[in-house]
Amino acid sequence: MTIESDDRLDLRGVRCPANAARALVRLESLEAGQVLELTLDDGEPAVLVPESLRLEGHEVLLHERHEDRWILLVRARG
Amino acid sequence: MATTVYLDHASTTPVDAAVIEEMRAALALVGNPSSTHVDGVWAARALELARARVAALLAADPDEVVFTSGGTEANNLALIGACSRGGAPSHLITSAVEHPSVLTACDWLESLGMRVTRLPVDREGFVDPDAVRRALGPDTRLVSIGQANHEVGTIQPVDEIARVCREAGVPFHTDACQSFGRFPVPAGALATVNAHKIYGPKGVGALRVPPGARLAPLLFGGGQERGLRAGTPNLPGIVGFGRAAERIAEEDVNRIRRLRDLLVARVLGGVSGSWLNGSRERRLPGNASLGFEGVSAWDLVRELDRAGIRVSRGSACSSGSTAPSPVLIALGLPAERALGVIRVSLGHGTTQEEIDRAAGAIETAVRKLRQA
Repeated sequence: MTIESDDRLDLRGVRCPANAARALVRLESLEAGQVLELTLDDGEPAVLVPESLRLEGHEVLLHERHEDRWILLVRARG
Repeated sequence: MATTVYLDHASTTPVDAAVIEEMRAALALVGNPSSTHVDGVWAARALELARARVAALLAADPDEVVFTSGGTEANNLALIGACSRGGAPSHLITSAVEHPSVLTACDWLESLGMRVTRLPVDREGFVDPDAVRRALGPDTRLVSIGQANHEVGTIQPVDEIARVCREAGVPFHTDACQSFGRFPVPAGALATVNAHKIYGPKGVGALRVPPGARLAPLLFGGGQERGLRAGTPNLPGIVGFGRAAERIAEEDVNRIRRLRDLLVARVLGGVSGSWLNGSRERRLPGNASLGFEGVSAWDLVRELDRAGIRVSRGSACSSGSTAPSPVLIALGLPAERALGVIRVSLGHGTTQEEIDRAAGAIETAVRKLRQA
């Protein structure tokens, strides 16, 4: 099943924890249930960002590695 | 004791209650916004939300916002940062009516071998964009002209000056502290803004650094703010700045302008030998720079203060000086007239009753001082 995203944010090159912070700020600007696609660097961002988003109640639908980057699909919390 | 009338908003504005509330919550955040644990994430979220809010008011990308300790640091970063990237000493263009944080930075750069052109202004305080064009040279590294004058409120033709610079391929910087939130900042310009002129806290500002701008930092350390401003950020202050940037849209500039015009009309009509400095049409809505023949502005500010009316002489940053304002001298005022000028500046809390009281107090004070 393909999940369509409502918004995209490329956080490659943004250091931790600013990447997680920017993802949270963007998710909070979306309506509940909308999906945000995130692109992250490999390494610490691929761990810290999804964990932080889950802690705030957002749902990580996809967390997938693509060569040297990670793609996350995150549903904004209700 | 009678209530006071605060008419010094160009020096600083009272902090909005909603700003204080959000700053209080930010003070309770434990983490450092650079720490890579969850408390760091929460602190960084507050920082990035503020960045997004300030960026929105600048019509910029959040990546372009570099937080600083205020307008002075942002002006210093723009000027010294642009001119200290290495290479041969080069050329900088500014005007004679800039804020001291621009002009003294220029003095410093000049002492290091930079060539500085300080463009004159006309009697209303305007910089001529053609004069900027004529002053540009192959070694010009930056043009810095403030968007609105801090003393007389004149709004410069910054869009036209920015276009002249763009055509010449020279970066343009504008000190937009007085105009932020009231007038759009020119697209693509380096721009200085701060919080305490928009009902936010003192001691926090930002420099908008557009893509491609090349600056050297003033502070070195942990690489915060894209390496342009090291040091743990002033998180409560920045949070307050973000909230203030969101709230300033609610300021009713038309109401402020109407009250300002009323005050000017009352004073000019009621006090002989009085005049308004700057442009009648293209000026900040809350600014009234008023001069009085045969009166010392220092004495007038004291007299009004005793009557509960808070105004200032010139800019707050130089109002301790006994010399005539360089801005007023640049507008062509003789020194003795420049020494008789006060700045009255209104804000969104100013009322018609306060304006009536201030106008009456000015008339009374001037009459008393002239009789003394």
